[in-house]
Amino acid sequence: MANVVIQASDLTLAYNNGKNEIIKNANFSIKKGEFVFITGPSGSGKSTLLKSFYGHIKPTHGSLMVGGLDLAKISNSKLQELRTHMGIVFQDYKLVNEWTVAKNVVLPLMIAGYSIDMQHTQAQRLLRHVKLSEYANMYPYELSGGEQQRVGIARALAKNPMLILADEPTGNLDEYSSNVIWDLMENACQQLETTVVVVTHRIPTVFSLQYRHFIIENKGVYEVH
Amino acid sequence: MKFIKDHIMFILPLVAILLGIEFFLVFDRMTASYEQRLRDGYSMLVVSKEPMTLQELQSINSNIGKSTKIEKNEILKEVSLGQNPQDTQEILNALPNFYIIKLAKYLDTSALDNLEKDLMASKKIKRVETFGNSYSSNYKLFSFIKFILKVFIIFMSVVSLFLVIKQMEVWGYVHRERMQVMEIFGAPIMLRSGILFKVAIVDALISTSIIVLFFLYLKYQLAGISEVDALMNNSELLFQPSDAFILLACAIVIVIISVYIVVFSSREKEA
Repeated sequence: MANVVIQASDLTLAYNNGKNEIIKNANFSIKKGEFVFITGPSGSGKSTLLKSFYGHIKPTHGSLMVGGLDLAKISNSKLQELRTHMGIVFQDYKLVNEWTVAKNVVLPLMIAGYSIDMQHTQAQRLLRHVKLSEYANMYPYELSGGEQQRVGIARALAKNPMLILADEPTGNLDEYSSNVIWDLMENACQQLETTVVVVTHRIPTVFSLQYRHFIIENKGVYEVH
Repeated sequence: MKFIKDHIMFILPLVAILLGIEFFLVFDRMTASYEQRLRDGYSMLVVSKEPMTLQELQSINSNIGKSTKIEKNEILKEVSLGQNPQDTQEILNALPNFYIIKLAKYLDTSALDNLEKDLMASKKIKRVETFGNSYSSNYKLFSFIKFILKVFIIFMSVVSLFLVIKQMEVWGYVHRERMQVMEIFGAPIMLRSGILFKVAIVDALISTSIIVLFFLYLKYQLAGISEVDALMNNSELLFQPSDAFILLACAIVIVIISVYIVVFSSREKEA
């Protein structure tokens, strides 16, 4: 159990005060260091499920344990603390446009109270890792979509998180940029033993048989073998 | 340019609110001073059958502040010239006692009527002259000016408050994305809103300084050369050091409330 990062038991997620159920009685677990895909048709609840992993949506029934904490009962301060151990990647990047690329990348370190010098050193290392060293002092709106998503991944990796959650990370990107993003996430999983959960409408062919795969259908979450 | 515009759009309504507060403080001091002058310049006459002490008069109505007995000899001095001393003594014995009454505080006309009724209800008192007509006209004019100014100040503050709220909405829009991203990554509220607090406190300091400098200029420069008696004679009431602290406290409270509204309205919501 110590190796389990996410554990859902009879998990039900709903909007409208429980009236509009999206996920019903789901049971699954994801272990440390696993790379997991969650797929399903549009509107099936993929993003809702991912949002529940970082506490944006609370379970209406059942339990959802992330990092050993029950997200159905978690306090705001504990949730804040939990989120500092996660890296989240969004389809629309969610970078802060008035901050430089370097500042965006070190946001998790800023939140953790790292010194300015440490943030600067880490920004250089992370940007080197995603091959964007020369973009450090530029602003996100000056970058292409693929470059912005690499900044998003660098930010997600900044604090060596236990869990990376990615919501359609290649949804807006061309094939070349998508491959770069998949490589970065795969490396994070293999080299840092970070658990990576990716929500996507289409799994890259190269990964299709390699990693665990859950599909959402008719409000249920099923593992594809 | 955008930075300056954002600041000015918040500073201007804040200055207007602080101006309203400072006007209110100044007006409050002015009216207190004017009320005191009205009270000091006003007196009523009480005629009693028997001599009465101040305590006796105050036990009838506590609004009586001071009583001065008019000596009967003084009254008769002019009219008794050439009179037989015996006749004068008889007149003196027959004369009632006259008292000039000063008020303990400024009263409205109905309180003045009540005071008259209380005095007349005493068996010792024969007559009361309040000179109510002149008192009443002064009081009504004064009340009217007071009312108009308060309405103006309230109106100005309400309009300014709407402008502050409008600017807060702009802030909310500008900072929402950044604060939501920070929240998703686990930033505590003080870190998320730190920059807003800094900007808002700076705006509060700038706004307070503008008002303080304006009123200091009014007090030390403009009042002296204005040739307006009310300003020249009351320049010390125009600004007092304690006003700066009151204004700064008000400005900081307004900006902190504004920032909290922005912060809480930008929190991530369940879709």
